Amino acid sequence: MSLPEELFPASLLVFLAAACLLDRHLLRACLAFIAFALLMSLAWWRLDAPWLALVEAMLGALLTGLALFHGLGYPGTRPSLPVHDQERRPRHEAPVRWLAALVWLTLAGVAVWGISGDGELVASDELTRQPLLATGLAIMALGLWAFAHHLHLLRRLLAFNVLGSGVFLLLAGLAGPSVEVQGLILVGLVVALIGSVLGAALLRRLHALDGRVTLGVEADERR
Amino acid sequence: MSVLSAVPLAAETAVLWVALLIPSLLGLLAWRFPPQRMRPLLLVITPLPLATFWLLHRVAMGGELEGVWSLGELLLYWRLDGLRGLLLLLTQLLLLASATYAVGHRRAIAVAERTFAGFWPLLGGLATALGIIWVAADLLTLYVALELMGLCAVGMMLLPGKQAALVAGMRYLLYALVGSLAWLLGVALLLGVSGRLDLSGLAATTQPGTVTSIAMALLAAGLLLKAAIFPLHGWLAPVHASAWTPVSALHGALVVKASFFILMQLWQRLVPEAVAAAWLLGLLGSMAVVWGGLQAWRAQALKQVVAWSTVGQLGYLMLAFPLLAGTSAAVATLAWQATWLQLAAHAMAKAAMFMAAGNLVLAAGEGRLTDLAGTSRQLPFPLMTFGIAAVTLMGLPPSAGFTAKWLLLQAAILAGQWLWVAVLVAGTLLSAAYVFRVLRCAFVEDATRQEVQPLPAGMNLIALLLALAALGLGLGADWPLALIRAGGMP
Repeated sequence: MSLPEELFPASLLVFLAAACLLDRHLLRACLAFIAFALLMSLAWWRLDAPWLALVEAMLGALLTGLALFHGLGYPGTRPSLPVHDQERRPRHEAPVRWLAALVWLTLAGVAVWGISGDGELVASDELTRQPLLATGLAIMALGLWAFAHHLHLLRRLLAFNVLGSGVFLLLAGLAGPSVEVQGLILVGLVVALIGSVLGAALLRRLHALDGRVTLGVEADERR
Repeated sequence: MSVLSAVPLAAETAVLWVALLIPSLLGLLAWRFPPQRMRPLLLVITPLPLATFWLLHRVAMGGELEGVWSLGELLLYWRLDGLRGLLLLLTQLLLLASATYAVGHRRAIAVAERTFAGFWPLLGGLATALGIIWVAADLLTLYVALELMGLCAVGMMLLPGKQAALVAGMRYLLYALVGSLAWLLGVALLLGVSGRLDLSGLAATTQPGTVTSIAMALLAAGLLLKAAIFPLHGWLAPVHASAWTPVSALHGALVVKASFFILMQLWQRLVPEAVAAAWLLGLLGSMAVVWGGLQAWRAQALKQVVAWSTVGQLGYLMLAFPLLAGTSAAVATLAWQATWLQLAAHAMAKAAMFMAAGNLVLAAGEGRLTDLAGTSRQLPFPLMTFGIAAVTLMGLPPSAGFTAKWLLLQAAILAGQWLWVAVLVAGTLLSAAYVFRVLRCAFVEDATRQEVQPLPAGMNLIALLLALAALGLGLGADWPLALIRAGGMP
């Protein structure tokens, strides 16, 4: 596989992640996420991990997608949640979260640079590793930003899922598609699915109870 | 693969894994057929601690047990030594207490049987996950167990179904999920550097360096978030406000400490000499002691007092890091014993205190401190239990809390780290302040009270037994301390 061949799916992944996290239209964002998960599945396939590809397609794309749609109110006669995210975070709010996200990203960047720079990678298939690591970092950055910034719970769930995919890509890029890596990613996918299902169900209940789509007042988060 | 120092005997291995998996099976069974009475449940669960007791005896006689499961090419490691066996025993005793208590609790809060049935499989899953965390010796098994524990805990917190419970549960879920991603990233870095996941292999192959430090920092961040260590404790108090009492008891007693246990193990193996980072953790713990104590002192609701006191008491555990990093062997041994004794003492006392507080609130029908006025005459039994549990939390003799703090004090003085002495004194004064505030409210005599709701006698009895066990552990601390010493540090 040559570099340009790797570059195209990698940039498409980053683009879809950005589309999923930036779009205020929640339905479109969910669809972008499903496309993103399918592309992730393709990435696992190309890394010689067919089982992982299958699980990613089933759990990551299909079931998580269904859970997200359920959270939005589909399938049903009409959506119970407004499709448009109207929540706006005031400027300069939650600086601690921003700081945490930034520290996280810096640490990950330095460590990845440290490992790949020293040629310490366990297997040295450089050509496929570098795009994987770069894509993983970019997707993780998007996910961290969105998780720190968004208020709407569905968008935070999307951000968590994208962040998780970024971590999985880094994991594969750092240690190759070994059996340990596949085991870790499998567990991670199952956990992400359960978290998404639980979160979407909770969001729908909360919205039905008092019409909220966010966690509410920041004050009690700082307590 | 590491050389196994002791080939585990088939019988011990079988007993261990049956003891680990039985709670899940019982939980599923109880989901289908919810238990109605306390006594049959007691009979069914009691064999578990007995089996662990036998295992502990074998470990004390023949050294620790180790083993490997192979799942295709994947190798999963486990290990049982004195400390791990004691933690398993503690888990099973608290499982026994909270399961039995839950039967009475369901009757007392008059919730529909079907609504409450979901509690049982989650309780079983939580107990199994905790057990696996104690014995697991590789990062993949730890990851699975940590996630199982976190998701079961979130599920149990959501069960009451009230709006406050759902909001708090949602926040807990988001924090727990992000915490586990930080953990996974740390694991990814370690795997990238050394290519292995088993703890002893990691300890042997990882060199101290930037990447190891960063990996440890990410692992620690994820675990501290799950352990509710200051300043990542924001989710803890709201979650307890609306949770059912047996859930709160088990959560405050063990769930937050499992993350601490994992962190301590990784720290000892990967960066045992990182003095500056260990001091940072110690400082965070000190701030937790002070902040948790102050918030408990200010809290308006009884359950909030108990929840905030958890934040404070967890801080003491963090003092172990600076006392273990680069100190003499004598200091390290003292700090090591003090930490695990404090963990066990706090687990039993906190479970007892949550149950006593739950009983007071249920019987009086009011959750605010000011509404407790006059309960001293009408509800002396739960109030006495609260007081006995508080003796351990404050660290008064002869409780295990006193022994643990005494050992910690000796370690700090011996190491010349005087800051922790001040923290211990401040923490004790603050816990005395919030405990006596509760008691003062309860002893107001001139209040006119309405009727109190009668509770099943077993609920008060279980809380009292736990509180007395925490007190008695101080008198009989020799046996566990000997086991911990023999098990030794990793």
